[in-house]
Amino acid sequence: MEYVYSILILVGIYVVLASSFNLIIGTAGLVSIAHPIFFALGAYTSGLLAIHFGLNPIAGTLAGAAVAGVFSLMISLPSLRVSGDYLLITSIGFQLGLLQVIKNLELTGSQGGLSNIPTPIAGPERGWIFSLVALAAGAATVLLIRWIVRGPYGRAISAMRDDELAFVALGRDATRIKIVIFAVGSALAGIAGGIYAFYFQYLSPEQFEILASGTMLTMVVVGGMGSTWGPVVGAVLLLALPQAITFLRLPLSYMAPLQGMIFTLLVILFLFLRPQGLVAPEAPAPLRHKKQ
Amino acid sequence: MSAVLHLEGVFKHFGGIVVADDITLEIERGQILGLIGPNGAGKTSLFNIVTGVVPADAGDIRVNGVSIAGKGIHERARMGIARTWQNMRLFRTMTVLENMVVAPREYAGESMVRLCFRPGAVRRADEQACEQALAILERMQLERLADNAVTDLPYGQQKLVGLARALMNDGPCLLLDEPMAGVEGHAYETMKAVVRQEAQAGRAVCVVEHNISFIKDLCTSAVFMSAGRILERGQIADLLASKTLAELYFGT
Repeated sequence: MEYVYSILILVGIYVVLASSFNLIIGTAGLVSIAHPIFFALGAYTSGLLAIHFGLNPIAGTLAGAAVAGVFSLMISLPSLRVSGDYLLITSIGFQLGLLQVIKNLELTGSQGGLSNIPTPIAGPERGWIFSLVALAAGAATVLLIRWIVRGPYGRAISAMRDDELAFVALGRDATRIKIVIFAVGSALAGIAGGIYAFYFQYLSPEQFEILASGTMLTMVVVGGMGSTWGPVVGAVLLLALPQAITFLRLPLSYMAPLQGMIFTLLVILFLFLRPQGLVAPEAPAPLRHKKQ
Repeated sequence: MSAVLHLEGVFKHFGGIVVADDITLEIERGQILGLIGPNGAGKTSLFNIVTGVVPADAGDIRVNGVSIAGKGIHERARMGIARTWQNMRLFRTMTVLENMVVAPREYAGESMVRLCFRPGAVRRADEQACEQALAILERMQLERLADNAVTDLPYGQQKLVGLARALMNDGPCLLLDEPMAGVEGHAYETMKAVVRQEAQAGRAVCVVEHNISFIKDLCTSAVFMSAGRILERGQIADLLASKTLAELYFGT
């Protein structure tokens, strides 16, 4: 049963990660690959606060989200003021650089990882309570993003994506919208990190490598870029996939490369054959007016 | 009376090409100024300089006496400079009404803080923008197309929507970049009528246009530009009578 719970928890966490990554790259069209590092920032922040200050998990997770959101400004403020293209470059640098810091700081457990994160719940209920929390976080993320995309803010984002210069010339502050979306997406990844830290109680820097953004990107592309429900479908499918290949009983040394190949192949196939993904994007809510 | 839009000694070059060479001009309330000249004269570039799309190298631009130097594109729009584009630049995935609702000088929905803490105020602002947009569309007899995708409209009507979107900005200054190119028949008459009404309502309007009869019908005065310089300015009839200008313009 613990196995099922851990998969449900990963589904919840990856729904948050894929949905928030989709908000950044799909909805707002901002090309970044630094999503794993914001996941890490949330995880390490809440883990460290729990270890050293005994902070309760809810406050710790929120603190992780806040740290991820504030750190996102370090990338977005300088690069988005110039042009969207610079975001990709700074995000690569930020992802690689900050992970090196995490790998080398004694505070974060350096290469060995951060262990002994206290768990808020012990006993037989632990599994289902955490599953519930993770799935609720996933659902809340999807609903929050749906609310953003379908409302006046989403209308502004659509217009910005259609023609940014015309949008700005109407008096809209496109730079601020991008910075806000990037911060919201990053903070959500921080929440996923907090849940991860408190459930698994151990963080290893390897799991936040740049390649992890490939997994998230696959979920987004397969599920449907810019679509609200797409990343949910993508996350569930791509978490089920590795579980499915474990039944092939291949040696472990084959498993990881095989998984990588399947993920890459999926992205390529989808980009060629079904670029909109499995679920098509949702339009903003229609404007209601008297003349209808 | 002081001018609504005042350009003084505006200079801009791209490498060796001078697109604005010491441009000084004023547009007053209610005036429709025609900006004419051959292709490449720097007319659209002048609009881009005024709206902040390209920064001027030198000179000053003032709106109602306030300098807009150093302000960003969106800040200038908020100060009341509305413009249209020669190729319209409509938001192609959106309906006519949606194109217009994001276009007022203040759009409450672009602030996440207001969306979270004052959702009622945002909703009311949205409703108000809808009403304003429908009123503008009604003047153009386009209100029944409000919920159509802009890309479904014929070219002339898209051009009108471009103007309608710009009119959502209730600022004092309106810049129209070739509003008539590709527009005929009913849409042509509508465009002319609406631009005239806007000037009568007190806006300062500047029109870049190759359609000379449109300029003759609407504008009282005009400036003639060539190679980034203002060659002549004055009453429209005098300009058109000038032989040197006819040569430059029509190459005859």
